Amino acid sequence: MPESDQLSVRPAAFARRSFVYRRLESAGAWFAEIGGAAVAARFGDTASEVETARRLGLADLSPLPRVGFKGAGAMDWLAERGVTIDGSRPNWSWRQGDGSLAIARSNTESLILSNLSGNRYLCDRLESESNEGMEARVYVLPRYDGLFWFALTGSCAVACMAKVCGVDLRPSSFVDGAVAQTSVAGLTTTVVRCDIGIENAFYLLGDSASAEFFWDALLDAMREFRGDAVGLWSLQALQAEVK
Amino acid sequence: MKIMPCPLNGPRNISEFVCQGEVEIEPDPATASDRDWADHLFMLDNEAGVVREWWYHVPTSYWFIAERNTVTDEIVRTYPTEELIERGGHPADFESKS
Repeated sequence: MPESDQLSVRPAAFARRSFVYRRLESAGAWFAEIGGAAVAARFGDTASEVETARRLGLADLSPLPRVGFKGAGAMDWLAERGVTIDGSRPNWSWRQGDGSLAIARSNTESLILSNLSGNRYLCDRLESESNEGMEARVYVLPRYDGLFWFALTGSCAVACMAKVCGVDLRPSSFVDGAVAQTSVAGLTTTVVRCDIGIENAFYLLGDSASAEFFWDALLDAMREFRGDAVGLWSLQALQAEVK
Repeated sequence: MKIMPCPLNGPRNISEFVCQGEVEIEPDPATASDRDWADHLFMLDNEAGVVREWWYHVPTSYWFIAERNTVTDEIVRTYPTEELIERGGHPADFESKS
């Protein structure tokens, strides 16, 4: 599809849209369709946005697929279906073969995030098979509507997070893959270190009802580092650099 | 900021936690008198010294046990609920064995 057509979509035209789509629209975002939802692809020139993302960028990934599973048998059930995850290691995440991310939030609860292309195959497959998981004590958690999903990237991300979060997120103590379920800007948040390319990156997930507050709070904290909102394409460009 | 060592999440600001009260023996609802039941529901032992309390980590909805000195407000030890069960089963059994 030509870029001009991709970017003609408006979030309000979709049944599913980002929790912060009004903020993104007012910031001048250009949207692209991914999986039946409008994603903020870029705000201006992608090349300069990549440089912003290297320093400090905030991207909204909320329209991308994700799903959770909970129950005494959830971890074994996922492992049987080819997902790399270890229930004995809570607060950790594992990259899957297709770039998706499997997060162990506890011994019995997981969260699956799609890759940055928004490929929903893994989420859909697991969700469709979860009906047969009831006997295995596995229960699906529809996280698409309940959790916002932002990405904070760049060399200043750790310093910025230190303003709003009490957990030590420096690379020396919070390595790639680590997960912290804590308070960020006063809001219960799951923080996942998931580096994109060579850049530090944190995935931030929290209650969707507070998404606009959280988006505004982070942009306010980012101001002193000259950080700004970036589109999904800049993250995809960062990721492509190392391939 | 005071730090609470959470058994699941590690050291965290105390503001992420809620104290849910003393670990105590629940009277048998079938045989307890109104006085004993009211005492269980509404009255606190409020002991001076090391007490055993339920604590709750809000971001992860995780319940655990903390031993805290109420005189010095020092957190002596924290451990998962499973440890309480392994050591004695019901908190009532645990009380009598500790």
